[in-house]
Amino acid sequence: MPWTLLRAKFREARICLSAGRVTLSYPYAPAAPAPGFRGLPAVDASRCIGCGGCASVCTPDLISVADDGPRARFTWALARCTYCGRCAEVCPEEAVAMSAEFETATGEVRDLTMVVDIFMGSCNRCGRCYRTQTPLDPPHPRPHHQARVEAICERYRPVATAAPPGTEVAS
Amino acid sequence: MSETSALLSTLGSHLGGKLLERSRLEASGALVATVAPNDLRDAARFIHESLDARFVISVGTDCRPMGQGFRVDHIFSQDRRRTWMVLRAFTGADDPKVPSITPEIRAAAWAEREFQDLLGIEAEGHPDPRRLVLADDWPASLHPLRRDVPYDIHPEPAVGQAQPLAPPPGDSVTVPIGPFFPVLEEPVFLKVFADGEEVVGLDYRGFFNHRGIEKLGDSKLTYNEVPFVAERICGICGFVHSTAYAQALENAVGAEVPLRARYIRSVVLELERIHSHLLWLGIAGHILGFDTVLMQTWRMREPVMWLMERITGNRKSYGMNLVGGVRRDIPANEHPEIVRVIERIEKEWLKIIEAVLEDTTLLMRLSKVGVLSTLDARELGSVGPTARGSNRPIDVRIDHPYAAYDRIPVHGIWKDTCDAAGRTLVRLEETLESIREVKQLLAEMPDGPIMRTFDEALPPGREGISAVEAPRGEVIHYVMTGDDARPYRWRVRAPTYANLQALGASLKGMRIADVPITLGSMDPCFSCTERMQVVDVRSGLVRVYSQRELHEMVRAGSGRGGAR
Amino acid sequence: MNATTVVVLKAVAYLALVLFASPLLEGVMRKVKAIVHSRKGPPITQPYLDLAKLLVKEDVVSEPGPVARFAPPAAFACVLASAFFVPFGVSAPAGSAGDLFVFVYLVTLSTSCVMAAGLAQSSPFSHLGSSREMMMLITAEAVIVISLLGVAVGGHGALLSALAVSGFRWSSLVGLCCYLLAMQALLGKLPFDIPEAEQELMEGPFIEYSGPSLALFKWTFYMKQLVFGSLFFNLFVGWPRATGGSVVGGLLNFAVNFFAVVVLSLVVVLIDATNPRLRIDQSVRFFGGLIAVAALGVGLAALGW
Repeated sequence: MPWTLLRAKFREARICLSAGRVTLSYPYAPAAPAPGFRGLPAVDASRCIGCGGCASVCTPDLISVADDGPRARFTWALARCTYCGRCAEVCPEEAVAMSAEFETATGEVRDLTMVVDIFMGSCNRCGRCYRTQTPLDPPHPRPHHQARVEAICERYRPVATAAPPGTEVAS
Repeated sequence: MSETSALLSTLGSHLGGKLLERSRLEASGALVATVAPNDLRDAARFIHESLDARFVISVGTDCRPMGQGFRVDHIFSQDRRRTWMVLRAFTGADDPKVPSITPEIRAAAWAEREFQDLLGIEAEGHPDPRRLVLADDWPASLHPLRRDVPYDIHPEPAVGQAQPLAPPPGDSVTVPIGPFFPVLEEPVFLKVFADGEEVVGLDYRGFFNHRGIEKLGDSKLTYNEVPFVAERICGICGFVHSTAYAQALENAVGAEVPLRARYIRSVVLELERIHSHLLWLGIAGHILGFDTVLMQTWRMREPVMWLMERITGNRKSYGMNLVGGVRRDIPANEHPEIVRVIERIEKEWLKIIEAVLEDTTLLMRLSKVGVLSTLDARELGSVGPTARGSNRPIDVRIDHPYAAYDRIPVHGIWKDTCDAAGRTLVRLEETLESIREVKQLLAEMPDGPIMRTFDEALPPGREGISAVEAPRGEVIHYVMTGDDARPYRWRVRAPTYANLQALGASLKGMRIADVPITLGSMDPCFSCTERMQVVDVRSGLVRVYSQRELHEMVRAGSGRGGAR
Repeated sequence: MNATTVVVLKAVAYLALVLFASPLLEGVMRKVKAIVHSRKGPPITQPYLDLAKLLVKEDVVSEPGPVARFAPPAAFACVLASAFFVPFGVSAPAGSAGDLFVFVYLVTLSTSCVMAAGLAQSSPFSHLGSSREMMMLITAEAVIVISLLGVAVGGHGALLSALAVSGFRWSSLVGLCCYLLAMQALLGKLPFDIPEAEQELMEGPFIEYSGPSLALFKWTFYMKQLVFGSLFFNLFVGWPRATGGSVVGGLLNFAVNFFAVVVLSLVVVLIDATNPRLRIDQSVRFFGGLIAVAALGVGLAALGW
């Protein structure tokens, strides 16, 4: 019995010593996470269309939407983020991506509050904000980007006829 | 399903006219038998004894908005026949009460106290009806899971409700283990009564980690938000919860999940089991003072965590499940990497097993420690390696196959030593089996979509049950669909909830030094067990011994010496 | 250089060594344990930092009283004093003033102070720890004492300095094995660190002590490593020594002795790192058996073997 015990201890010691040292130098050396890692969400505001899809799927409800005239303000309380990545998943414009940022500890909540201000186009006719057409809507006679440049809300937007650009058509 | 028809008709002929209604939850493999409250005890006894069904959990639901009063479901498992049996009764909206089934079925003790606390349905005749879940200062008249109680209510603390704990019997001394104690990663209070080094009694107080998850699930969260909360029920085995929930909901509405998604779920579940068992061996070693085992097993485990980060985007909160499938694929070019990682672990794991089996000093601390007889394991509803180490041949992957487990062979592993050593060996060998299963699943994974689409909103009022074999045992989720894309009721029972109730039986006659390793050998996950509101809790007495037994023990112990 | 100066210098050297080299020895042991654990571990100066930190903290204890006040320094002083009787490659400074029995009394007194310290507090964990300490005292320490007795019988005397090894003896071999195993327990190392089991008793007798008192307890254990290790080498293991009484020779012997103690400590830590903790009843049974073996060693010594 003592012999088998000693042999067991030898085997255990061999497992330990052949592994070598595994301590990483982090934080004295950087440790980049794997690609595909879900870190802090990052928003490319130039691509955001203010649809609010991110806000509606966010489990901790950290994205709040406020309208202020022509401006839509998205306030992200990222301190509550659980890094699930649903916002990035549902964004139709790929404006949200999960970055590799994981060193998010801070004593200031401010550091983790992100505000995205989107200027929502207002109708050149009536001045109110309106929902721009998206590729999912029924096709418009004019190309999508031209309709955006025209900035006319649906009330004044021409219906599907072959009218030349710039013409007003009452609905 | 002729097996299940046979079961229903046996039950029907026993109950006769008392069987008010019978129905099936087809996709869940469940039978629902409705009786009047007064017939609950008799029916439960019949199902437990004559039909040899294992008690699983009870679900209390507030059905007053639907005009049905309160509803109590006792869920049993007919493991041999792959069937769940739900024994259902409705009781009045005012002063709801049902006869307690605990006098017949010891395993139901906590489940009934839980619906008593959270829904206010009184379990009449319960041998120990004290508060289990809610805090001492939570008002007695406020039952959080009732539909009319908001999820974010902050009531004024109530005073004078605290119940005194049991005093130590005879001459024994109280050794308090917890709420803060070096071997516990989570708070729990084990009041151990000791005569010298010998344990003569036990009092348990838990539910410090109750977080309001079931309440969130049936009020605030939508169907697809629940998996992300579910995977945070546990700090180690989150994926079993998000999978069980998703499957329960999918069963409820009869939604078929694409095959590839089912394979992916199985692969992730087995990888989770591998890292959980490696973690467990480390904890067991640490409890025994053998820190080298802790360090080395956790070193071996790291590659799996990195692998999961690569596959899912996070080391532990995989976020893979949605209702209807999985969010990320495991493409074929990632398979060799997975196989490489687990094969390396397998090589080292075999060396560890070889060393452990011959390490007499280690086995001395595990053999004949925390003995849980096969009968006790059955009566107290133990599951997982805790039960399998006591020769109970139950494993959800075999008994109620889910995901891809009906497509690959699963070899159940059980031991008959009924002690901590048996449970250890079960987990050691299960890890090897998991490694084998992952390789087979990857090799046979079919192509196809990983997420199904839903053409229309999910109808309300549908019920589904799903169980998953977590590393610690059977996890079961029950879902009833509701309006506005939210569940009406979501019930979770984690394996440690069942296993903890057997702690007293397994500590009988043990020494103080064995208490931590006995608890550790059940691989307790208190966060899994406790899922509702606030802090500073009272639990109840785990009535371990009768007065007579205690006196006998103290008399026997006093002749044995010990310094105090 | 007259005899008095030599003795005084020796005493100072001993004091310096036992006080200030023992934490370094502990640091080396922790580093070796870390290597076995595949991790980097703390720097070898960590015990100095630990002691320094504790010494400047407030001395809070839940049941203050004379025992709580004096037990820690008493335990510390006893082990420190016992070092002066132990040869360290050179003869001990107080070597002619006290013999084996004085040494044993001092060490046992130190353990009793630890026990008293635990009993003076009201935590059930410290009482359990003290009761386990008592059981270790009557088993493991008994083995040490009997092994030393065997050497004394074989060397026909009790003065430790006079008992340096001279050639192989069977009784010495038996005593060596018993002493080594029991030393593991006295140093509070696995598989026998039972009285202070962190995972079971939250440090046992020390649980209620903090600050300087705790520092003194820890230091006591560090010093014990040096003392018992050195005793082992001088009484059970022989090696070529510089003779002739020269200062250089003395220093050489001193250094070799220290090196030998370090090597022994490595063995101690390797056993510690590859074992779980035993239960007190298992340990008592083990040492009970070892007492019989050690007694056999005494018998062999009496027979001249």
